[in-house]
Amino acid sequence: MSGLRDRMNRLRGVSAEAGPSASDSHTEETTVPQQPDDKIIEEAADEETLHPGFEAFGVRICRTEWGPYLVRRLEYPLNHRHGTHALGELVEAAPGLAAFHEEAGCPSPQSILYLDLETTGLGVGTGNVPFMIGIGYMNGESFVIEQSLIRHPAEEYAMMMDLKRKLRNFSYLATYNGKTFDWPLVLNRMIMNAIGSSPWTPLHLDFLHPSRSIWRNTLTSCKLSHIEEERLGIEREDDVPGSLAPQLYFQFLADGNPEPLEGVFRHNEIDLMSLACLSIRFGFLLQERIFERIPFPEEAEELVRTGLWLGRMGRSGLPEELFRLATLSVTAAPSSLLKLAAADKKAGNWDRAVLLWQKAIVQAGEQCHEDASEACVELAMYYEHRTKQLDLALTFAQQALERCQLAGMEGKPSAKQIAELEALQNRSARIRRKLDQERSRKKDEA
Amino acid sequence: MNKWTGRASSLEEWLEFLKSNEGLMENVTHWRTLPSRDPVYAPLPADLHPAWREALHKRGIEKLYAHQASAYAAARRGSHVVAVTPTASGKTLCYNLPVVQSILQNEEGRALYLFPTKALAQDQVAELQVLADLMESGIKTHTYDGDTPPTVRTAIRNAGHIVVTNPDMLHSAILPHHTKWVKLFENIKFIVIDEVHAYRGIFGSHVANVIRRLKRICRFYGSNPQFICASATIDNPKEHAERLIGEQVELVDNNGAPMGEKHFIMYNPPVVNKQLGIRRSSVLETQKLAAMLLKQGVQTIVFARSRVRVELLLTYLQELIRDKLDAKTIRGYRGGYLPKLRREIEKGLRTGEIRGVVSTNALELGIDIGQLQACVLNGYPGTIASTWQQSGRAGRRQESSVTFLVASSNPLDQYMIQNPDFFFGHPPERALIHPDNLLVLIDHVKCAAYELPFREGEEFGSEPLADMMEFLVEEKVLTHAGGRWYWMEQSFPAHGISLRSAAQENFIIIDITTSEHRVLGEVDRFSAPTLIHEEAIYIHEGVQFQVEKLDYPEKKAYVREVDVDYYTDANLAVELKVLHVDKEQETGELLRQYGELTVNAKATIFKKIRLRTHENIGSGPIHLPEEELHTSGYWFSFSEEAASRKSKNEMQYALLGIANVLVHIAPLYLMCDPFDIRVVPQVKAVHSQRPTIYFYDRYPGGIGLSERLYEVHDQLIRHAQSMITACGCLSGCPACVGPIEEVGLLGKEQALQLLREAGGSA
Repeated sequence: MSGLRDRMNRLRGVSAEAGPSASDSHTEETTVPQQPDDKIIEEAADEETLHPGFEAFGVRICRTEWGPYLVRRLEYPLNHRHGTHALGELVEAAPGLAAFHEEAGCPSPQSILYLDLETTGLGVGTGNVPFMIGIGYMNGESFVIEQSLIRHPAEEYAMMMDLKRKLRNFSYLATYNGKTFDWPLVLNRMIMNAIGSSPWTPLHLDFLHPSRSIWRNTLTSCKLSHIEEERLGIEREDDVPGSLAPQLYFQFLADGNPEPLEGVFRHNEIDLMSLACLSIRFGFLLQERIFERIPFPEEAEELVRTGLWLGRMGRSGLPEELFRLATLSVTAAPSSLLKLAAADKKAGNWDRAVLLWQKAIVQAGEQCHEDASEACVELAMYYEHRTKQLDLALTFAQQALERCQLAGMEGKPSAKQIAELEALQNRSARIRRKLDQERSRKKDEA
Repeated sequence: MNKWTGRASSLEEWLEFLKSNEGLMENVTHWRTLPSRDPVYAPLPADLHPAWREALHKRGIEKLYAHQASAYAAARRGSHVVAVTPTASGKTLCYNLPVVQSILQNEEGRALYLFPTKALAQDQVAELQVLADLMESGIKTHTYDGDTPPTVRTAIRNAGHIVVTNPDMLHSAILPHHTKWVKLFENIKFIVIDEVHAYRGIFGSHVANVIRRLKRICRFYGSNPQFICASATIDNPKEHAERLIGEQVELVDNNGAPMGEKHFIMYNPPVVNKQLGIRRSSVLETQKLAAMLLKQGVQTIVFARSRVRVELLLTYLQELIRDKLDAKTIRGYRGGYLPKLRREIEKGLRTGEIRGVVSTNALELGIDIGQLQACVLNGYPGTIASTWQQSGRAGRRQESSVTFLVASSNPLDQYMIQNPDFFFGHPPERALIHPDNLLVLIDHVKCAAYELPFREGEEFGSEPLADMMEFLVEEKVLTHAGGRWYWMEQSFPAHGISLRSAAQENFIIIDITTSEHRVLGEVDRFSAPTLIHEEAIYIHEGVQFQVEKLDYPEKKAYVREVDVDYYTDANLAVELKVLHVDKEQETGELLRQYGELTVNAKATIFKKIRLRTHENIGSGPIHLPEEELHTSGYWFSFSEEAASRKSKNEMQYALLGIANVLVHIAPLYLMCDPFDIRVVPQVKAVHSQRPTIYFYDRYPGGIGLSERLYEVHDQLIRHAQSMITACGCLSGCPACVGPIEEVGLLGKEQALQLLREAGGSA
């Protein structure tokens, strides 16, 4: 064996004394006392005994007909507050979530399974292993969290079989990015363990996409940990970032000491509760109970985005109210106004669209602002084609052209700016031509 | 010959005219007419599915060529098959026949096709779709590569009967995500590998390991597919295919395709300086012949051995025929052109709009460009196999075709052209791979572990699994539990491993002539220090660019269009250190050894060389980091007695002369790119203190080339000796030991003497 290492070192140009290459990503493991791996595996494989360190944070062995794995089970009373919301609010909020799957009827709070994985790597490749599977669900008078952990990959089969058994009790799967990450990864593991490729067909409630729709521009990040802090009033203390979880797990595999895993359990637990609170937030939102149960957004951008998203989810009452607030906002960014105007234009709601475009120009002020030029173009189109007020159309086309030229003078114009400029010149020329024709026609008639 | 237009009515007439052209014929050293060959047919197999038979009828196929029928029969018997077929012999039916038949009989069945390039894969899918449409069978064929839109990927994974892809995609996208391909892997019946001869050297060694992984995944899903391979003519198709797929294969080589009469003309540029043995430039002669053909309206392909040559020839030709043809009808083609441009050129060749193309060996593979009438090879392509492949680009079934081999002054070319029987009588080279190259193997063991845990007792390559597993556990990428080894690391191993050496590390060339910067092309890492160092002239599509800045860490070269009358040529300084001797043998005064060594290479200076006259008009330094390589090598040292008989200077010239010959004849025994193997002479080698000539593989860990040379050492030395003896020059020329400026006035004699005294008795 040392022969193989020597040969590898020679080929890679590493001197024999240098030992294992430090190129791998978890170099801090060198601080861990080096023990021969075989011994560790023997310890870990001693299935009947649990390292006492685990008991300190409530982990116990779960024995199944397929073998053992570890579980940490927590029950929170429904009145437990996690930030703004109490977990029990799910009872009231859940019916709102029906909007995600109208065909399936009204979800009961007990039918929703919350899922969050901690994995050994990134992506959904076959070598990425969820070493911890956290699930949460409402059961009678409590919210239950069950976190499974495998002490080594050979315990995975038992964990997955047990998960498959539990899945049948639920209809909905609530996640944060679970459609593309957590659930495909669970399926991977089912296949890898020859358990079958379709153990359960859930109705997905993936809150990543709605969150992005609403908070893309108002929050600096749409990570769950950021949203919970900014919008759900949740503050984590001493949180172990999710990105550290793989390294902590590798460390545990190497030395068998469970202590560093406590932070991972805790992180996963909070993720699950935050996820539940986020679902409560969306449930209320979809019931259009924004002023009653949840705070309404302050920024125009968020008002508009929330309204537009609700509109897409088939809601009609609340969006109008949100839009009204947005138009009244004195600090509304031109881009938010334009977004709403675009929706109005599409819906044929011309009066407000014109108002919003004009407001966007005012908000942009004297600065050369792409949004302002866009608003001018929209108005030019509106007056040219809809109301046939050609002189007004020309005014706005000219204004757009000027703004565009000004923008082009800052540094070298991009290909896009040049194309835009040309389009505007054509537009102005065409309106002028039409104006001339109209004038000469009027003259003729006169 | 029409006296008004100067045009012949047919290629035959033009060739007759050529024979009467004394000036040209003086340089023709050999003219061999290969007779046309009649087809050998076989009936369509009796068990062929009616729909399949019907579709073939509609395509005008009423019977098969003998080799197609044999391949079908072998595949139906359940054998793994390798079919050897020359260019344009209907090889695709060799695998499409059994595959489509099998899917028609069992709609659940699946097949995976592997082609070395995306372009080849796309051609194949187009053909299969036509056939499927004719059958109205609903057989779905799709390419799956980097260009496949994400929206259709899911559909392909679940419903594609035939998935056409390349080894790189299999390696980095399909195998690591095999759980998304359950349908394919559970039902896979056939794996088709076309152009297996392209999988040689380091690339082939990687691909052999990707196939080991593929078979492992198939076993996991309970399938055991059959392999059908197709190869160009090489010396060892069966052995090569068997090493590549790790299975016994049945060889099919009874080619039944017809061929028109073929004229193979060897052309040696005239000697312009007898004293120095200097011949007229092969580039100029190639250009002359190609221009003659193009002016006759003969669709012609010109093959050149380097990118620079391609661009030089293209520039010259476009200039020459400017008054007769539009420049756009003559195009260049080489790696480094962007895919869109390549597709456009391929199409132009098929439709006939493009009349001439100057290409590197990029067009040697089976990309569909139709069949042309004439082929001009600028220099011997390096292997007999490549020569036949390239020559096969010219030759339609019914018509005559012509191939010119224009020799350059390098010794291998001169040897070939003076010994036509060697070329026509010798089997093509052997394709060599070394799948158990430790670095390559370990890379793929990592990928395989990521894809599926290793079980105790499993095998992967020649290295004991337990040793590799233990090593990777120590490296902290695997963990051992319950009798298995599991991947336990955050990374995705396939991303860091490129099947094509340096392919992932290509340098990008950016044109900054105008304010709109654009990407011109790319150059691989090994070539970058000598091709795109600062101040180098980089020629693209016949236009000269000068490198203004080479951002080495970022792998970008910024170039600006220039108009100068020179090109640049860079020198590479090499240092060697022997690490380990694995084999050795002593004969006479010669000690030969095989083992591991390290090579340090650094680009030092470049020369500016005037176009057309090729005179040296200046030089400059190159400041780039040194590259280090650990590889396998073979070297032979002369005894101290031999050394004592010569002065240091004489020995220097003798060794240099021998090295110059060997570097050119070594490829005769290998199937490799001339750049894959290097030869370095040293008067006093560091490890032995003796005069030594080294060969080494240019890839970490080696790919089996030096080892093969070690085995054929005696032949190699004899060959070198007879070649120097046979050369007509007085005291050395570029065709044997090198020009006298390089090896001195007595270089030839010294080299010969050294070989005779020391090694010649072998």
